[in-house]
Amino acid sequence: MRKCKIFVGNSHPELGNMVCQRLGIEPAPCTLKKFANGETSVQIGISVRDEDVYVIQSGSPSINDDIMELLILVSACRGGSARKITAVIPQFPYSKQCKMKKHRGAITARMLANLLVMAGADHVVSMDLHASQMQGFFTKPVDNLYGGPSLAKWIRENVEDYEDAVVVSKNPGGTKRVTALADSLKINFAMIHTDRRRSKDLYSQNKDLQQLKLRKQSMLRKNRPIVRQGDHPNEEENIILSNGIQTARIRNGHVIGDDEADDDEDAILESDSELNSIDALDSHGLGGTYDAVDSEDEEEVPVLYREQLITLVGNVRGRSAIILDDMIDRPGSFISAAEHLVQNCGAKKVYVVATHGIFTGDCLEELEKSDAIGTIVVTNTYPISAERIAGSKKLVTIDVSPIFAECIRRDHYGESISVLFDSLAAL
Amino acid sequence: MPTNSIKLLAPDVHRGLAELVAKRLGLQLTSSKLKRDPTGEVSFSIGESVRDQDIFIITQIGSGVVNDRVLELLIMINASKTASARRITAIIPNFPYARQDRKDKSRAPITAKLMADMLTTAGCDHVITMDLHASQIQGFFDVPVDNLYAEPSVVRYIKENVNYMDSIIISPDAGGAKRAATLADRLDLNFALIHKERARANEVSRMVLVGDVTDKICIIVDDMADTCGTLAKAAEILLENRAQSVIAIVTHGVLSGRAIENINNSRLDRVVCTNTVPFEEKIKRCPKLAVIDISSVLAESIRRLHNGESISYLFKNYPL
Repeated sequence: MRKCKIFVGNSHPELGNMVCQRLGIEPAPCTLKKFANGETSVQIGISVRDEDVYVIQSGSPSINDDIMELLILVSACRGGSARKITAVIPQFPYSKQCKMKKHRGAITARMLANLLVMAGADHVVSMDLHASQMQGFFTKPVDNLYGGPSLAKWIRENVEDYEDAVVVSKNPGGTKRVTALADSLKINFAMIHTDRRRSKDLYSQNKDLQQLKLRKQSMLRKNRPIVRQGDHPNEEENIILSNGIQTARIRNGHVIGDDEADDDEDAILESDSELNSIDALDSHGLGGTYDAVDSEDEEEVPVLYREQLITLVGNVRGRSAIILDDMIDRPGSFISAAEHLVQNCGAKKVYVVATHGIFTGDCLEELEKSDAIGTIVVTNTYPISAERIAGSKKLVTIDVSPIFAECIRRDHYGESISVLFDSLAAL
Repeated sequence: MPTNSIKLLAPDVHRGLAELVAKRLGLQLTSSKLKRDPTGEVSFSIGESVRDQDIFIITQIGSGVVNDRVLELLIMINASKTASARRITAIIPNFPYARQDRKDKSRAPITAKLMADMLTTAGCDHVITMDLHASQIQGFFDVPVDNLYAEPSVVRYIKENVNYMDSIIISPDAGGAKRAATLADRLDLNFALIHKERARANEVSRMVLVGDVTDKICIIVDDMADTCGTLAKAAEILLENRAQSVIAIVTHGVLSGRAIENINNSRLDRVVCTNTVPFEEKIKRCPKLAVIDISSVLAESIRRLHNGESISYLFKNYPL
């Protein structure tokens, strides 16, 4: 590729080097180091005048240093009279902060977008942004590539009788992502809702005889597809019912059985009053907009919500369950969802599938320890150290460097990128 | 203390909501004149001084003539700006183009971002809206945006008008699952969801119901209802699955195209919309339509904004 330079940042050199290798060029020479006082220093070792420059930098555990390095690199290329600068950010940092969550919360993803444009980026390439609306944060074009086709390909090739599997969303907010994958694989989906507000009474009420009878009826009806002729003669309308709601309790992040005794009354009372005080704080806080509808995005449950209800809407009995999300950050909600699927809902095997495997802290080890989780599948957009990969028997990583390489090649030659959105699985 | 006062402005059409808000605040709408010359261009003049005043412009953008309303709003903002208003707040309960908020197809425009840029460029200092299609739209603006929720009003409506102990909340699509789950939590109810695969735009081909609705009153919640084809179809599916009855509650009842016919011919018992979108004339043609008045929420947010008080109270509570 003539007149093209690719700089690889320090956050995830393996991915950057694989992209370069795929494109058949060497990463452009540059010196990235830190001064003793902690400042980042960037020296570009080759002329970039009138060149098409790509900077590959993902997130990593030292996220703020990497952002700074990316900004300085982009800015240095701008100063070196590059013709066009594209920031390739496989895992966009701060992407969870893409809306106001708490009172007076900052939309940090938007600020990062502004910073990138200010530094001189002309184009941004990323993959599976936490919300696709983030493209609107930039005043420059953004190409949001999809990890879905690669994950779907893995599922087709590695999940036994995947036609009978069920894709599960572990919170209602991710249902759209789940239905997209389920549609492309032409399989069923289900969703899990974890509830921190519902009273215990409702649970016991749920358990009463009439409810059980109703549930039995619905279990009998489950899985019986009703096929009906559509309005148009050639169009077959296919209404599939997958009824059935399964509810269980979780305490301290783990599913507990029906017969398990409650905590002592005092403890529950205490946690209830704490709960109320939190609610009161929430509703009388001062100023600012905050997202009540989407606030459940925070997946980790504070300790004080000691007991919760977890509900599966859908049916996974005797099938493989594929829990899909855009990133695996912290383990709690994945583990409780998997336990619920296996112990209470009769799932055969649980796969945890995500685009970005961030695995904060000992997340990977926690997932590894959980008996309910069979396999963990992520792409290599985010660096995972070799020791961690070697230490994990359940982890599978899918290489997405061909997708980024092809995207860079097409972008450089001015070809369409849109075919990459759906036919990527072939790469 | 600032001596400035609230000035409420509204365009000459669809003043219903603005008048309700003004009444609630005990104010008159500021006199203004909006002229359309034969070529279709709009000219706007404010009938009294707004120098150093706190301006609130209330628009209801419905179906049909969206672009005219948008341009009128921009002209009104700009007129207030050049008339030295201290602060201009645009109150756009039904944010136009909110569904074009991302590149869902290749080469698709992000028109919601363009709208945000246009409002800011015209001179808008603050935006108040309600139930944005995606809350990320807040991040498209360079000025503060207060995204109010219709949920407290909806909860109140359900508690007063529906036998809600026997109800179940339904999301008509996967994207709305979160909204349904939150409302279900507020009311201590179960929820279910319907997933549809669209073959072509506005045409539903395959529907999947996830959840059990037997003998329940189904409350379908959504942020927007266009032609209501989806709602009618969802009602069919729910009743086929032995639901007791079906009502729909939507925040923005755009009700375009054949919506009224679709509702009248459907098996929906009731369709409840808030008055963020003007539909006075439609309600006469459709006995199944009902209204939730949200003018008090807007009025309270104006009062709080003007006095520099917190607005977050309104996210969870209905103002009395």
